[in-house]
Amino acid sequence: MFRTSHILTAAAAAAVLLAATPQSFAQGQGLTSAQAMAAIRAVQAYAKKDGSDPSTVVLDRDGNIVLMLKGNNASPHNIGLAERKAFTANMFKMKSIEWRDATKPGTARANERQTPKAIPLGGGVPIMVGNEVIGAVGVSGTRGGQEGDTAGAQAGADAAAAAVQRLQAQANN
Amino acid sequence: MQKLITGFVLAVAAIFAGSAVYAIGLQIAKDQFLQSLTNFDISVEQAMLVAENAIAECKKDNSVISVAVVDRDGLVRFLLRGDGATPELADNARRKAYTARTFNQATSLWMERTALDAVDANGKAIDLNGQQYLENTIAEKGGFPIVYHGGAIGGVGVTGSKGGGERDEACAKAGAQSIADQLL
Repeated sequence: MFRTSHILTAAAAAAVLLAATPQSFAQGQGLTSAQAMAAIRAVQAYAKKDGSDPSTVVLDRDGNIVLMLKGNNASPHNIGLAERKAFTANMFKMKSIEWRDATKPGTARANERQTPKAIPLGGGVPIMVGNEVIGAVGVSGTRGGQEGDTAGAQAGADAAAAAVQRLQAQANN
Repeated sequence: MQKLITGFVLAVAAIFAGSAVYAIGLQIAKDQFLQSLTNFDISVEQAMLVAENAIAECKKDNSVISVAVVDRDGLVRFLLRGDGATPELADNARRKAYTARTFNQATSLWMERTALDAVDANGKAIDLNGQQYLENTIAEKGGFPIVYHGGAIGGVGVTGSKGGGERDEACAKAGAQSIADQLL
């Protein structure tokens, strides 16, 4: 009896493993072009209040560009910098300004600054849905320097996340 | 004595007048030859309007497209990758926009003009096929120039519509024409 129950437990465990492991898909919340447009509109609204002319890039979770917009009088570096800020926020799953402060030269994490494409400058903000990072917004060229760029990108990331949550709420209804 | 003073005053006045004329002349020359270059370029607001109208046109048959708008330098002003489109497909939209901008015509027309067997009105071979080897150009329908006073100040490119190149170009054209009344 004792042995039978052991065998049964083992068999059940094996069945669970077989059922769960090879057949489950990798699944994650994506970022649509409509959500990226919501982000860019929020950044433009911020820029209008700010009186500035920023460049903005929205990346998906793979780090690929979903949307980019170059400011009217952008300097040549602005659009590439916006992408790198978004890349940094997406990769390290935090605002690029926080990552900048966390990786100061001489500290334990300084070597992270060697990551290609990442850049220790503020203006990149991850798009968070719950605890999940589904992409990032990078902004370059507002009036307020790195803090201003971060505020603009935050407005964009919030708008995109809100658009995702509206979709999720619709799906649950 | 009186004459001497009058002469002195006249001389001083002449020097001042002369230097004033010289300075004004210099300024005129500067204005004429050293003024900085001013160009018209497609703005953020115009680019977004162009893109939105291209998307709206393609939505009529439920196509999900990627749209690129380039400025007068051929650089991206606006780029939106459609849902499910690869980065490469979105980049083809940019290349269509670039081609239309740099050759100031729809990419379908440019393709005809640069075809291997293209001939002019007199039946003479045009032989511009080499243009298709230029970097960033693409011989695909779907790019349309944004024209101001006869010169291209930008271009719009579309990929991914259900109707293929023909529809891509119809959507790009609809986008470009949505701001045409601003550019008269």
